[in-house]
Amino acid sequence: MKSQSLISSFHPANEPDTLDSAERAQIDASTRGPVLLFFGSAIFWLLIGSLLGLISAWKMTHPSFLDGSAWLTFGRLRPAHLNAVIYGWASAAGIGVGIWLMARLCRVVLMHSKLLISAAIFWNLGVLVGILGILAGDSRSIEWLEFPGYATPILFISYAFIGIWTIIMFRFRKPGHVYVSQWYLFAAFLWFPWLYATANILLIWQPVQGSAQAAINWWFAHNVLGLWFTPIGLASAYYMIPKVIGRPIHSYYLSILGFWSLALFYSWNGMHHLIGGPFPAWMVSASVVASVMMFIPVVTVAINHHMTMRGNFGALKWSPTLRFTVFGAMTYTLVSLQGTSMAIPSWNTFIHFTDHTIGHAHLGLYGFFSMMMFGAMYYIVPRLVGWEWPSATMIRWHFWLAAIGISIMVIALTLGGILQGFAFYDPAVSFRTSLDLATPFRIVRGLSGFLLLAAHIVFAILFTQMLLKLGQPKDGPALFAKPSETDKEVAAV
Amino acid sequence: MNKLPLIFLGVFLTFASSWVGLVAYPYFTLGRMQPLPDEDTGGYFPPAMSGLAVAGQRAYAANGCVYCHSQQVRLAPLSTDIQKGLGPRQTVARDYIRAQPAFLGTMRTGPDLSNIGARQPDPNWHHKHLYEPQTVTDWSIMPSFRYLYKMQQIEGQPSDDAVQGLTGPHAPPPGFEVVPTDEADELVAYLLSLKRNFPLPESPEPKLE
Amino acid sequence: MSNFTQPPDEGFEESQRASEMNVAKVHGSILREQAEPRDGYEPVPLWLITVFFCIMFWAGLYLALMSGGFRADVYNPNLVAWQGGGAAADAGPPDPMVIGKRVFTQNCVVCHQTTGLGVAGQFPPLVGSEWVVGGDWVGDNHLVKILLAGLQGQVQVKGNNYNNAMPPWNQLKDEQIAAVLTYIRAEWGNAAPPITAEFVKKIRDETASRTEPWTQNDLKAIPAEQIPAGGATPATPDPAAAAAPAPAA
Repeated sequence: MKSQSLISSFHPANEPDTLDSAERAQIDASTRGPVLLFFGSAIFWLLIGSLLGLISAWKMTHPSFLDGSAWLTFGRLRPAHLNAVIYGWASAAGIGVGIWLMARLCRVVLMHSKLLISAAIFWNLGVLVGILGILAGDSRSIEWLEFPGYATPILFISYAFIGIWTIIMFRFRKPGHVYVSQWYLFAAFLWFPWLYATANILLIWQPVQGSAQAAINWWFAHNVLGLWFTPIGLASAYYMIPKVIGRPIHSYYLSILGFWSLALFYSWNGMHHLIGGPFPAWMVSASVVASVMMFIPVVTVAINHHMTMRGNFGALKWSPTLRFTVFGAMTYTLVSLQGTSMAIPSWNTFIHFTDHTIGHAHLGLYGFFSMMMFGAMYYIVPRLVGWEWPSATMIRWHFWLAAIGISIMVIALTLGGILQGFAFYDPAVSFRTSLDLATPFRIVRGLSGFLLLAAHIVFAILFTQMLLKLGQPKDGPALFAKPSETDKEVAAV
Repeated sequence: MNKLPLIFLGVFLTFASSWVGLVAYPYFTLGRMQPLPDEDTGGYFPPAMSGLAVAGQRAYAANGCVYCHSQQVRLAPLSTDIQKGLGPRQTVARDYIRAQPAFLGTMRTGPDLSNIGARQPDPNWHHKHLYEPQTVTDWSIMPSFRYLYKMQQIEGQPSDDAVQGLTGPHAPPPGFEVVPTDEADELVAYLLSLKRNFPLPESPEPKLE
Repeated sequence: MSNFTQPPDEGFEESQRASEMNVAKVHGSILREQAEPRDGYEPVPLWLITVFFCIMFWAGLYLALMSGGFRADVYNPNLVAWQGGGAAADAGPPDPMVIGKRVFTQNCVVCHQTTGLGVAGQFPPLVGSEWVVGGDWVGDNHLVKILLAGLQGQVQVKGNNYNNAMPPWNQLKDEQIAAVLTYIRAEWGNAAPPITAEFVKKIRDETASRTEPWTQNDLKAIPAEQIPAGGATPATPDPAAAAAPAPAA
């Protein structure tokens, strides 16, 4: 049964390269093992990471909480939290979503699923060994690269399998139009190993002299965000938004502009983490310039998504996938514009070294990427397990706990950070005062952590129910509300 | 139309540009900097670190000090670091030649440590502070690192390296003393070595007001 | 018409078998899907292109002005060092109080303490000391001589007796001796004129043969000399002497 809209037949360049249901079913079935394994691992690490984050947050405002032990000291829990959510949750979710998107868009049944299943096992092993290593005292204390040298090769082996698989998929894809999501995924899957290898070689295995390390460190860390997570998130948005509402993406040309300007400018941003730092002035200025240039890809993508959605915002009332995805996409615009502002040296003066940076990091990785991944997972999982989400109410709880939780966290850290920064700048103000200013906001942040942990527990329960096919068999999807007559044929979730 | 080679080329070149500028360039220039000779003492700027201090970097990394403490002094008007006494001049790449890794840090949950060795030259202060920070600074939110210390019974004479002047809930009861482990000694040696107050031509000291 | 690609045989059988089991019952979630995403072809808005070029223009200006001439040894973005010479040459003459304080901290505090008060009975104070600010028989030349050759034996400072040995500091450069003496004469409430590097050089040349530390009696036998008025400001020291070869760019 073909579902081809009228519009596509008016655009000669837009050949009817869509799939019929039997083909979709076959592709989805082939991706089932690896994708569900990556999703399950991701959700596991999400729970662990959220718990580690919550404990770390409370230790900051109550230093005697669980103190006196090496394994639970803040300086180890905090990087354990970071690595669990980056490599354990976010990367695994991104790989899972990427695999499914790639199979659908390449319109080819997934081959060599055993390769990907091995990759998932190695990935989990690497993350586990890494987290335990950090807690045991082998953290490298290089931000975003804390895993000890004995854990990272395991991740490399995993990634080698994924890289090989990516190339095979692309090689055997159906020839024809390469859709924008595929560019982003292809790029992300190529950039990440290059980033990870360079950073590991130059900072951990054959470390370069200290005077050069921080530049390479922040080139790496920022690019994990900009060239690994962002492309996967955008690839998902570019798929889910038009898919759910059944409309084409507004402008192919904006897609091109957005992709290439991101590729060119994002990778130069790294030094904005080190404004004023011990580097030749030109390196820092180049990053400031690149950070401002990021306005272009960000606004381009925002226009593209917005104009695609225009007239269809009503779908947000009933579609969980769309709601999470659009939340993520709007947050992407917000956090990127915030990032551009933070890189301007005269504003950076007041927010560097403060909680403002932490707020920004969470807005990006959670408000944008994690919410985007939740949206994708809500779409993909029913198609893999052949079961509908058992409870729209629980999805609603997930959404609101997460949305409110992250909003509270970011607002608290952003405001607290600004106050801290102004206090830092005034030489007449003591360090103690800056600390006292930040504390109430940190407590609010700690409270928001409970909301987020709750959201993740709800999601984990839902996912488990799907895997075990619990709950009443449903005829239709779990939606937030009944779509009205004027809404399109129900397509989401 | 097979766009794949074009996409590959573009993806490769855009990334390679930043790799050249932000990885290869620092590797070859900053990464190969040499210390400068100090004619007064025949030593070097930055001065060599003692073996204990070099080992102390591992303790600093293992316990995640960098997540709260920065080690960077920045110039005015971007910051008031120098005015606040964090250091006499901007820290530059040459200051971190001996750092493995360079603990620049990106958070000041606690104070900057670039010159902590000059501000607090007494090792006992550092031991007291690490053991129970709130007894030294009552508003501090720094966690206690008492797991780097051993509480032991005094046998005959108190040890030479027992930590002096401990108060607070974990102070040793009578007849007991707190002695640093090797890791604590290394960490304190490292902290004492943190002084970036020697002259470097690329970082002139701004005039005092 | 199906446009479904047949992948090569290897690896295909296993996934074919797995998917065959599911193809029989295609689930509702797949049946209700919309078409796969596709592109529309709206043009790029003109205002976006305009903004793009404005930002690029700003970017070029910023890079040109805030990159320290793209030198590897310029760390201050506000320093445009297009003429070369690096940071040191553009910084202006070094402040003797700054250098003097550093020399003092690195060499003298061990005995004379950061407060300049010395240690009672052991090391004489510098605060309000007639040896430092002048008075009685003490001249600028005596101060420089002490730094160059050292001092030993009984001395009276502010009415108290001390009997210790101060080592010579002739390994310090003229600028450094001048700076540290300038520092101690202007710090802690002392107010005496600065010592110049030329004066130090003059005294060093005169006393080149002296290897024994001075005693108080030796010094009292030498008539006091002050730095000639008008020679108080030290000349800009030669950047090459200020310590190092230019770092590799």
